Amino acid sequence: MECVVLAAGEGKRMRPLTAKRPKVMLPLANRPMMEHLVLAARDAGITDFVFVVGYGEREIRKYFGNGSEWGIHISYAAQRNQHGTADAVRSARDLVTGPFLLMNGDMILKAGDIANLCSQPAPCMGISTTDHPGDYGVILEDGGFVTSLEEKSKKPKSNLINAGAYLFTQEIFDLIDQVHPSPRGELELTDALAGLIAEKKLKAYHMSYWMDVGHPWDMLDANTTLMGSLDAKNAGTVEEGVFLQGSVDIGKGSVIKSGTYIEGPCVIGKNCRIGPHAYIRGATSIGDDCHIGHCSEIKNSIIMNGTKIPHFNYIGDSVIGSGCNFGAGTKLANLRHDHQNVKVCGKDTRRKKFGAVIGDDVSFGINCSINVGSMIGSGAQFAPNSSIEGCTGDKATIR
Amino acid sequence: MCGIVGYVGRRDAAPLIVEGLKKLEYRGYDSFGVATIGKSLEFDKHKGRISENARSAIQLKGKIGIGHTRWATHGIPNDANAHPHMDCSGTIAIVHNGIIENYAELKRQLKARGHTFRSDTDTEVVVHLIEEEYGKRKDLLDAVRTVIPKLEGSYALIVIADKEERMIVARNASPLVIGIGDGEIFAASDMTPILEHTERAMFLEDGDIATISREEVTIFNKGKVVKRQLELIDWSLEDVKKGGFAHYMLKEIYEQPQAFYNTIRAVNLETVSEFVRHPLSVTVVACGSSYHAGLIFKYLLEESCRVPVRIEFASEFKYYPPPIEGLVVGITQSGETADTITALKQAKTHNCRTLAITNILGSSVSRLADATIFMRAGPEISVAATKSFIAQLAVLMQIVNNISGTKCNDMLLHAHQSIEEILLINLTDAVSVCAGAKDLFYVGRGPFYAVALEGALKMKEISYIHAEGYAAGELKHGPFALLSSETPVIALCTPGDTYGVMISNIKEMKARGAPVIAIGSEGDSELPDIVDIFIPIPRTTPFVQVLTSLVTLQLLAYYTAVALGRDVDKPRNLAKSVTVE
Repeated sequence: MECVVLAAGEGKRMRPLTAKRPKVMLPLANRPMMEHLVLAARDAGITDFVFVVGYGEREIRKYFGNGSEWGIHISYAAQRNQHGTADAVRSARDLVTGPFLLMNGDMILKAGDIANLCSQPAPCMGISTTDHPGDYGVILEDGGFVTSLEEKSKKPKSNLINAGAYLFTQEIFDLIDQVHPSPRGELELTDALAGLIAEKKLKAYHMSYWMDVGHPWDMLDANTTLMGSLDAKNAGTVEEGVFLQGSVDIGKGSVIKSGTYIEGPCVIGKNCRIGPHAYIRGATSIGDDCHIGHCSEIKNSIIMNGTKIPHFNYIGDSVIGSGCNFGAGTKLANLRHDHQNVKVCGKDTRRKKFGAVIGDDVSFGINCSINVGSMIGSGAQFAPNSSIEGCTGDKATIR
Repeated sequence: MCGIVGYVGRRDAAPLIVEGLKKLEYRGYDSFGVATIGKSLEFDKHKGRISENARSAIQLKGKIGIGHTRWATHGIPNDANAHPHMDCSGTIAIVHNGIIENYAELKRQLKARGHTFRSDTDTEVVVHLIEEEYGKRKDLLDAVRTVIPKLEGSYALIVIADKEERMIVARNASPLVIGIGDGEIFAASDMTPILEHTERAMFLEDGDIATISREEVTIFNKGKVVKRQLELIDWSLEDVKKGGFAHYMLKEIYEQPQAFYNTIRAVNLETVSEFVRHPLSVTVVACGSSYHAGLIFKYLLEESCRVPVRIEFASEFKYYPPPIEGLVVGITQSGETADTITALKQAKTHNCRTLAITNILGSSVSRLADATIFMRAGPEISVAATKSFIAQLAVLMQIVNNISGTKCNDMLLHAHQSIEEILLINLTDAVSVCAGAKDLFYVGRGPFYAVALEGALKMKEISYIHAEGYAAGELKHGPFALLSSETPVIALCTPGDTYGVMISNIKEMKARGAPVIAIGSEGDSELPDIVDIFIPIPRTTPFVQVLTSLVTLQLLAYYTAVALGRDVDKPRNLAKSVTVE
């Protein structure tokens, strides 16, 4: 079976983390989000992939190449200007030859579900349940067939949603050719399905597991879930006097210095310097080339490549981009004293504990204080002793 | 300048090529055409803009194709002269950007060997040459490689042939970029048609010939396989069109050395009627910048050739026609300026011979005038004329040169080098003075008076600062009353008969407290001491100093407008071509 993965969008809701990479390349448990999906599909027996790429395509091409490292074959189709999902599928035309699986690249699925979906009669749509259906395409189902599909409904008619995974035959390309642009000028895949739904020809398959990452703070739960199956591994150097608890995965070339205390699950990438006397609490993933230094504490966070948290820092429940530098003593808060849900730029994270979303290449002077729910744009710079809260734009200089 | 695009891949070529050509329209838009290899070679080509007229071209079948959007240089815009051009058998098609300089000779030989020509273009000789070699060698790449050494001039070309699953491209002195897609490869004049499909590109170099299939590009240079760096392109569509410049105007200012050189090379008075070569008297009718070009022409022709020249605003000429005789010359970039066209019509009714100087082949003025000389500026997008003005001067200087017995050939052929030098001039101090002023005066004498007028016009057009050009001696007859420390004066003061009197003029202005910015010759020892800001230009002949001082004033206006945050390419209230009275 061939599989088309849609990975051309930026994922605007994930800004500022998408400054250097598309959403699907954001790391969860130190692998791009899309790699987890591709591995699940591979384990379901799929070997031939077409990645539809656009925004930040060079990151995807560089990382996955032709797929041989994963034992799969990948070809690419470019959708450089995003004109909607149907247009994205259309760009893979002629690169798939028979019935094919189509998946959004920004979700996490289990191999078993993918295998089962592939064995359904096409056309078939994977569906799932959620407690906030209004953010998705809401489905009504009758006798195993999809009977209604309503996008981002204010009054959802059910908690069943379109999971963004489909089994199609080549017929879908003809249906796409008949689609007219939507009011926002895009060609929507769901419009191409309207006829099939009306004629009760679109099968529905219930996915046993489905997770999507809508906002930066959703990455923390996804990270924790994916690290649930983490095995302890050490390809680096652990000095004497380091305490490791639970599953801790240490990458090649990384050094954990004496006095460091790590409570798993925790994954540490390649060539990192951790400690001496660092304290890391799960579930935390730390990318390649990072430095977590003396008396720095990290808890339940995602730290991307090349970020330095070197002296007397505290980071909790946060997502930190790549190439950031925290001045000595810079800390961030992750709990409101009124114990309300943390909001980021006015949006409810549905989390009691959340620190900050910090873009790439952000520099903090010494002793900055970052308040709960801060969102900091890529390339921002802060003078020593800055008190930071709310939203800070890309490349802002704060004195 | 024309735009070309080629495609080999997994999708239908025609719609992709049509979309690509629309993006290349800024390089030329008087006609267009597409050819594809479907069951056989199919083509569709028309006079007009592709954005208005592409319905039939999109229908062409096949996954290999080429397209062209034209800016006419050889042969007026019509269906036959539109590219692609086909060989006698209709199985080979070519698109070409550039100029084949030895086409006349090649065409004569090919006709003698029995080839049938369907167009007046220089390009068509290439496809017939390829036809001969392809017949012998049965290999399209070999055929093109054999033909290329026979061509003189500039070219970026793409060739396709029936039953060949590839395109062959070649470049010399015209741009050509190859875009590497997924199971598809593009070739085009620039990245604009490619950007939507891929960010991976290779820029060909002069002498490169490449064969391009769906999956593979092989590049040859001097008979050897060469590699060209694969680059990742981050530019936006607008960035590419502006070629990395902040504004079209700056890009066009930087294209002036090429525009001047190309025009000097292209203007051949021997092919123009006798009445142009030996006029008894000349009347120039023009508007705006073209009027200033005419004024420079007046000074140069009268001094070098002793032919009396009068210069008239075309808009005045119509309502207050002076008694006219001799040759009437109309200068218009677009060839559509209503006033200039009316003035030439009127001249014809007075039984005068008319000559048009324009940038657009087949434009209204070229159909009206008895003779037309085309400048080779290429399309100009910025409203403020820069490279078309320099190209007008190239035509006019070449006319002066010819009438005076081609004494200046060498100087004109090298003038572009001095223009090139001046582009990098540092004007920071002068810009800060101008940007802070409400009024500016530009003064000069002789042809530099006309340069002063044009410099002031550029400043007015794009920076919205009140600027006036004066003949330096006239300043005392009125405007002196306006001079103060608030009114900077830009003075053109180069060596020659008027140098001494200019120096005294400048001293008088300084005495009234006006800050003076002077443009003078490098190495001048007197001028820098008496002025506030001295801008040196290379010490050359007056002809060339007219050009370099002019470019300096264009840059001064441009940087001042940028400093003031003006919309340089689209100044308020102005249109590129004024087609109403």
